[in-house]
Amino acid sequence: MMAKAVAGDANPYIPKPVTIIAVKNESLETKTLRLKLYNWRLSFVPGQFVQLLLPGVGEAPFCIASSQSDQKHIDLTIIRRGILTTSVHYLRPGDAVGIRGPLGKPFPLDAFVGKDLLIVATGIGIAALKSLIIYAIENRKKFNDVTLLYGARFLEDIVYRDELKEWEKSINVVITLSKAPPEWRGLRGRVTDHLDSLRLGKGTAAAVCGSPAVMSSIADALMKHGISSNDIYVSLERHMKCGIGKCARCLIPGGKHVCIDGPVFRVADISIGAIGE
Amino acid sequence: MRKALFCCLAGETMIKISKQELLKLPSLLSAMGYRVIAPIRAGGVVKLAPLGPDDQPEVEYIRVINSPKKFLLPDDESLFRYRSTATITSYGLKIRFPTAEGPCPVTILPEYLPIRERLAFFGIHQCMVSSVRYLDRVMLSDPADPYYKNRREGMFIAELDCDEGDEYCMCRTLGTYKIPAGYADIQMRKSGSGYLVNAASEAGKELLSRLKKQDAQGEYPKPVPKMVNDFELVARDEQEIDAKGAPKSLEACTLCAACTVTCPTCYCMDIEDKFSLVDPSNVSRMRTRMSCQRKCYSAIAGGTAFLHAKEERFKWRVKHKFPFSINAFKLVGCTGCGNCVAYCPAGVDFREFVGRRVA
Repeated sequence: MMAKAVAGDANPYIPKPVTIIAVKNESLETKTLRLKLYNWRLSFVPGQFVQLLLPGVGEAPFCIASSQSDQKHIDLTIIRRGILTTSVHYLRPGDAVGIRGPLGKPFPLDAFVGKDLLIVATGIGIAALKSLIIYAIENRKKFNDVTLLYGARFLEDIVYRDELKEWEKSINVVITLSKAPPEWRGLRGRVTDHLDSLRLGKGTAAAVCGSPAVMSSIADALMKHGISSNDIYVSLERHMKCGIGKCARCLIPGGKHVCIDGPVFRVADISIGAIGE
Repeated sequence: MRKALFCCLAGETMIKISKQELLKLPSLLSAMGYRVIAPIRAGGVVKLAPLGPDDQPEVEYIRVINSPKKFLLPDDESLFRYRSTATITSYGLKIRFPTAEGPCPVTILPEYLPIRERLAFFGIHQCMVSSVRYLDRVMLSDPADPYYKNRREGMFIAELDCDEGDEYCMCRTLGTYKIPAGYADIQMRKSGSGYLVNAASEAGKELLSRLKKQDAQGEYPKPVPKMVNDFELVARDEQEIDAKGAPKSLEACTLCAACTVTCPTCYCMDIEDKFSLVDPSNVSRMRTRMSCQRKCYSAIAGGTAFLHAKEERFKWRVKHKFPFSINAFKLVGCTGCGNCVAYCPAGVDFREFVGRRVA
């Protein structure tokens, strides 16, 4: 005879059911799922993540990629990479999945107030920063200049095409392609190639997310441009299982857990080697 | 006189009993409603196992191949079960909750068995008691792990003092031969032909009240461990560990993960969904043992892994025991039990790496 031992709310391992109400193709490999929460609200701060449960497949962490002012829906942007994310691409509107969260420590929004905000995203890393971008636009007056520096490899990899047009109206959006097609009129090269053209310095705070291989070089380049390591924040990715600091899968050098001490870290608090591969 | 008064104030009672009486303790514990786990000699090794009515607990041993971890954080356990609808499609098994039209149906009805039994560990040494303290620090820090907490509540520890280690022990260096306060309900110690038993909790006193005994005088002696090989720690900082070359014995390492399996504090876990193809709609969310010696420990989607060579994985384990645990939990993760050295088929010795041999 099975019985409930602990109420669902008290057990941090138990996900809550949510329904997919829309699936948007962002690129060939990337989809954004819009999830509807029933009878409960999820209040989160940009930078936090949820554990998405696909029944029978497993769980994986994804940063919330929607506005924090909408507590009844959340968006998750997911690129097809592993077993779970491939399964995600078979989901359709109407399917129900589970989420646990919000988990992790968010971006320190108060520390950004009154500063120039530089958001550096490469590849799918922009999904982890989208809620911060939306926050910066919704609270535009709190910040000086807001710049999104977005680097992708191919033209087809650019996601959030509709949103980028919208964001350009209120913040400075710089897009660069490292493997641009001949007809591309925008910037070429890596994001680190274009830091010179931006006005960076002591009054700038940076939020960075990208693949582990490039994040440490971005953080290095930002420091060379005069931004203090106290003002650079990175959002890290690790293989997470529990999300509450019990399984030790997301440990990074320094003995910090990405799930409870992160995923957002100040570069000054972790060794730069901890960011990279 | 003052010492006796101090003992009373500390709430401790010490008795002296024969070995015969000592071996009655497990059955008394099960009469008190505990599930008794004790060291048993089987197949050439001593291991902790649930004590059956005919089993004789082993009280003269040096090391056990497993640890309380096996019972507090089992090698695999079902966190909860849920039912879902499943269909088999061309690309494999596809499971989803029932499609929702209108309001979301309540489809996650997690079910799991409450753990009602209380555990009692009989005859475990100080290093294993220290491992319980470390697991507590990890699992009960906020938010507490409900499954661990459930098992840990009302647990009884009957500790057996160990003074003489084998060539793999290192508890003197780490100070884990001392029992942390509140971690043993009774302490037992060989003394002449009999045993000294000291009750340190109410449950311990209740157990001793059921014995034929002789009150003993004086203070319960403190263990003084004698090590065959003595070490002092030289590298416990992350930088020091990174800067050191891997030990020569690591060349023979086959990444078999015996070190993490036999370690009483290696708590790394994997969580995954399991179901039978016969009844795919009945899914169990399983928590299973994971090891940092395996590539999948650190691999993220797309195949990027953070720990590649076996040298990195060896150092990672040492770092998790020392600097990471000191930073995150304010406690050293190694209890000096020596299991990872004793049971390593390649003979890798981390003590040579973190410590320096002293005469």
